Amino acid sequence: MATDTLQQDDLGTLANLRVKDFLQHFQMIKQGAESKIYRGHFLGKPTVVKERFPKSYRHSALDKKLTHRRTAQEVRSILRCRKAGIATPVVYFVDYNASCIYLEDLVGAITVRDYVASVQKSKQDTEQLFPLAEKIGLILARMHDEDVVHGDLTTSNMMISQPEKLFRLVLIDFGLSFISALPEDKGVDLYVLEKAFLSSHPNTESVFQVILTSYSNASKKSAPVIKKLDEVKQRGRKRSMVG
Amino acid sequence: MLLTQELELFPGCTVTLLLFKDVKNAAELRKKAMEGAIDGALINASMIVDPFQMLVAANKAVHLYKLAKMKTRSLYSEIIFNLSPTNNISDAFRKFGISDGDSSLLIVLVDDGEKKSKLEDIISQVKGQQISVQDISAKADVAKIKKVYKVTPAEENVGDLLDAIICRMSAKDIL
Repeated sequence: MATDTLQQDDLGTLANLRVKDFLQHFQMIKQGAESKIYRGHFLGKPTVVKERFPKSYRHSALDKKLTHRRTAQEVRSILRCRKAGIATPVVYFVDYNASCIYLEDLVGAITVRDYVASVQKSKQDTEQLFPLAEKIGLILARMHDEDVVHGDLTTSNMMISQPEKLFRLVLIDFGLSFISALPEDKGVDLYVLEKAFLSSHPNTESVFQVILTSYSNASKKSAPVIKKLDEVKQRGRKRSMVG
Repeated sequence: MLLTQELELFPGCTVTLLLFKDVKNAAELRKKAMEGAIDGALINASMIVDPFQMLVAANKAVHLYKLAKMKTRSLYSEIIFNLSPTNNISDAFRKFGISDGDSSLLIVLVDDGEKKSKLEDIISQVKGQQISVQDISAKADVAKIKKVYKVTPAEENVGDLLDAIICRMSAKDIL
């Protein structure tokens, strides 16, 4: 039995080396605290690979377990959102050994952040952004109704995959997401978005209001969530202090 | 006609897809496959919408094979299992593997450089007409596929059928 685990470790290490070789052909486009993002082609499709690398400061057994859990969590949230009609990148392949997620590369898509910035730069009325804001509110309501909390709602994590007219909104980066029915968690989710929105895009308070109104109208469970959002805003920090 | 794709993650490993229509000896072929006499995966072509669906299944199978972590006993049965949205192996074979009355057959061969699959040998055993793999979507039973993969109406608004299928295939381990 000991030889079995030894053999498994060797196979695992070999596999990791293969992944390393493979990713040489990819282009690394982002490095975060959690993961590295690469772009390239896989099985004939433009693909983004999200690699969660090992953290040497953690005990290796714990690190493996945590990383595995986070990877699985991310995939679970994506699938759950998709089934509920929320656009996300397609998951092509999950390598639990190397903790890599192979996702659809949304070629030609732009982030909501870039879109809003371009609208503001061209000195257009912020009212131009209202239809998009309505769509955002709708999607977030649907997501929260599925009890999926995104965990990192920013305008950089929302993409518009088709020309502005149709506003096909795609949510990305579910790395910090989790399943929760609690209004506090959903309220905090919205709070994170509000902070990110207002700090990246000055003078867009009205736009964010449209998001919230659209959210309230679209979700039956929205009242307690908005209540929590207001509570959190008054406290000024992100976590609810229970007990 | 046939489709060959190299699995980039496994250099030297190629997947070949062959498609046949008007197959008359499905029962005989299925028996041979069960006995291990055919060096390939025999798939009910009506369950496949796009060659990419097969590539994803094959890629995952080879990945697990190389890690010695397959759920089934052979690479080819693993490919069939990977097509299924559930973790029930017998159910996967029943739904995606070839059945006695099937007339459309897709054969998947994996070549990893160790042994060459004998293409002509396999083709000669099929009593049917070989057609281009690119025509696979024409053979697909969309209603049945939607039912088996339990595709929700909401999902159909955010992506095509292939997207829904691929997500379920790649995410089913966490279910």
